[in-house]
Amino acid sequence: MTVDSTSALHLDEPYARPVLVEGDRDIAAVTRRVCGVVEAPKPPKAWYVAITITSAMTVMLFGCVAYLIATGVGVWGNNSPAFWGWDIVNFVFWVGIAHAGTLISAILFLLRQKWRTSINRAAEAMTLFAVCCAGLYPSIHVGRIWVAYWLFPVPNQMQMWPNFRSPLLWDVFAVSTYATVSLLFWYMGLVPDLATLRDRATTKLRKGLYGFFALGWCGSARHWQRYERAYLILAALATPLVLSVHSVVSFDFAVSQVPGWHTTIFPPYFVAGAIFSGFGMVVTTMVPARELFGLKELVTLRHLENMNKVILATGSMVGLAYATEFFIAWYGGNPYERFVFLNRALGPYWWAYWLMVFCNVVAPQFLWVKKIRTNLWAMFVISIFVNIGMWLERFVIVVTSLTRDYLPTSWGYFAPTWVDICTFAGTFGLFLTLFLLFCRYLPMVAIAEVKTVLPAAHPHGGHGHKEGAHHG
Amino acid sequence: MTHTLARQAPTLGDRASRWGTIALGVGVIALAAAAYFGWAREDGFKRLQHAWLVACAFWLSISLGGLFFVIVQHLTRAGWSVVVRRVAELVAANTLVTAILFAPLVAMVLKGDASLYPWADPHHVAEHPLLAAKAPWLDAKFFALRVVVYFGTWFLIGRWLLKRSTEQDGASGVEPTLALERRAPPAMVAFALTLNFAAFDLLMSVVPTWYSTIFGVYVFAGSVMSFFAFSVVALRFLQKHGLLEREVNVEHYHDLGKFLFAFVFFWSYIAFSQFMLIWYADLPEETFWFKTRMEGPWAIVSVVLLFGHFLLPFAGLLSRHAKRRLGILTFWAVWLLVMQAVDMFWLVMPSVETSANPVTLAGIVSPIDVACLVGAGGIWLFALTKLAGGRALIPVNDPRLPQSLAFENF
Repeated sequence: MTVDSTSALHLDEPYARPVLVEGDRDIAAVTRRVCGVVEAPKPPKAWYVAITITSAMTVMLFGCVAYLIATGVGVWGNNSPAFWGWDIVNFVFWVGIAHAGTLISAILFLLRQKWRTSINRAAEAMTLFAVCCAGLYPSIHVGRIWVAYWLFPVPNQMQMWPNFRSPLLWDVFAVSTYATVSLLFWYMGLVPDLATLRDRATTKLRKGLYGFFALGWCGSARHWQRYERAYLILAALATPLVLSVHSVVSFDFAVSQVPGWHTTIFPPYFVAGAIFSGFGMVVTTMVPARELFGLKELVTLRHLENMNKVILATGSMVGLAYATEFFIAWYGGNPYERFVFLNRALGPYWWAYWLMVFCNVVAPQFLWVKKIRTNLWAMFVISIFVNIGMWLERFVIVVTSLTRDYLPTSWGYFAPTWVDICTFAGTFGLFLTLFLLFCRYLPMVAIAEVKTVLPAAHPHGGHGHKEGAHHG
Repeated sequence: MTHTLARQAPTLGDRASRWGTIALGVGVIALAAAAYFGWAREDGFKRLQHAWLVACAFWLSISLGGLFFVIVQHLTRAGWSVVVRRVAELVAANTLVTAILFAPLVAMVLKGDASLYPWADPHHVAEHPLLAAKAPWLDAKFFALRVVVYFGTWFLIGRWLLKRSTEQDGASGVEPTLALERRAPPAMVAFALTLNFAAFDLLMSVVPTWYSTIFGVYVFAGSVMSFFAFSVVALRFLQKHGLLEREVNVEHYHDLGKFLFAFVFFWSYIAFSQFMLIWYADLPEETFWFKTRMEGPWAIVSVVLLFGHFLLPFAGLLSRHAKRRLGILTFWAVWLLVMQAVDMFWLVMPSVETSANPVTLAGIVSPIDVACLVGAGGIWLFALTKLAGGRALIPVNDPRLPQSLAFENF
């Protein structure tokens, strides 16, 4: 990775909007560049190396899951008093990662943030893959995985129903709704680009497959009119979902009476944290991906800088939420609540707590400096910190409260087993394998959408009239 | 690269003093009425203090919402909003007057009068172990110091944003705009910190034993919503008087309407989260606050909020049609301003009008409430016309003004 100095960074003068696509800015070039990744006879060597490693990790994941199913949940570290351990920590972690994609594609769309077009496709794909990883955990934690469908209220002759008053059931609905809408949103956006790939295909197989999934798209005005309408409606529907999913996840904890879990700020605080971690993961993956597939002119340094700003903003929100929680724990005067927070900072998991504070609150503050937030290595390192920090946050919340509750005689210390660790590492394998496959076989950048932010798509575009570039 | 718009800058002109005088007159009369009603109750001005807090919080929340809006516009380098930004800047800069309005309440606390903030009485605190535990925070002098910090921060940020923006009106370069963009991020940090803790101090500590970590977000959500509502009403008012008629059009209202809708929804989400989590966990140290609000006439006010602050405006503002018909949009803007007042009333007043002494809905709302709201509003609006004075009502020389004038929703 090298630091590339681009002209867009210096285009901060307020009369014109900065360019969103650099280099050769004509419409055909965008198609060529994005389709080129998919149509190249062979992917870059690094791709083979990466997918070898990640698919090996995925195999490890499947192995661990098979071992768990064959043996029982006892192979994990979950035990009295910590009946929830890495399973829910990892579930919440992955659901959080899944937030960036839909935020970028729905909320930034409603806010007319045109820079989203270069990154939304990849981020949405990450959303789906992260939901896969997240959904795995509750399914395998149920123990008898062959009856996992009982998570849903399936009518049956025994009149057995899940507990509708449990936020765990709300989670089933919230996450599956989110997954469905995100998938629809992602797929609908893909349709015009799949048609492009179909039209450019040179083999029968490619033509058939891309053609099948392109649903007969021919780019007529009528198609576009319906497409844009549907896109707006889906964006409006997905926007509350971005908030609801992690709010419901936070309810898993906050409806209880466990000190450290029961606090009213959890819903918005979890949502801010989820967006924070999601953007962290997008930066972690996009920094190498744009290098590897030659997309630096589409996913510019400016895009990355904007994402870093979102990371800084949401990281600061998370910091404010930590401070508020800590303050109210003292202000509320509840001795158990006070103890939990002191225990987090000074108890047996002090290392996790302070590492979390460093990763989530301190590390992003470096992004105030423009030099740092436009430096690829610096942002990559910070985004890794964000990923670690947000995992630790869930660990701290789940484990510190469970291992030291009201009754000191039942206190304990949670330690993961090798199965916990390998399963978690394996989910990274699954996530990255799916991402690598996506990069190779589907258009990583929304071709049709990027074209709409090119100067040529606007009146006066391309004639040197700077005032004409007022999009956004 | 300088755009100088050869146009007459729209200003209030002599209307500023005319409207200011009317507002001041109405305000002073209402204040006198409020003082009389308060004195007539012979409760040591307890009821009046509560009503005064409601009124101050209501007008302050509009300013704070405006402050948030202006900072966000610079933070995101927004183009669409330039024509509506000056009105927002004026609203955001209008915090000195709320500080003055709020001062008597701080003076009462310093005097040891605990009729509004029970923790202001050291004897009461000494008897309550829960209050004694937080006495270092809820200390009269420390409280006064914090209030000064909160209002000082808002005043400095608001005035600075207005000053720099006005500077741009006559500047030949874009330096003021760039300065605004550079300073917006730290301003946002200061805003978030002060608003969060001010919500705890000014409103939550009216019931000092109660606590809710989301409370700051709740107040924030209502504030931003009420700013958008006020903005729509203010712009419509100016247009009725022949100002900004060509500059502000239905496209800008549509966007303000979208934000109004979004914050109606956001407030509801936060309000639901707070209520549901406390209701579900059912811990007596938290539920008592809601219990008061679910009994007797307060149950009616709670239901009014549920429908009036959430369900009805949600349905009413959902469609694009409603946001682009100015009559409908203005109706909902006025409606939601009323709801914001009801919300502030609902936060504060149950401490004095408790269900312990059987009260009716007519009994909990007093002429004092109306007099205080109008009185504080008159003074607040008077200060607003003073600020608006000779200033242009749109940032006439803003580099993004052409974008805003040409803006269209797709």
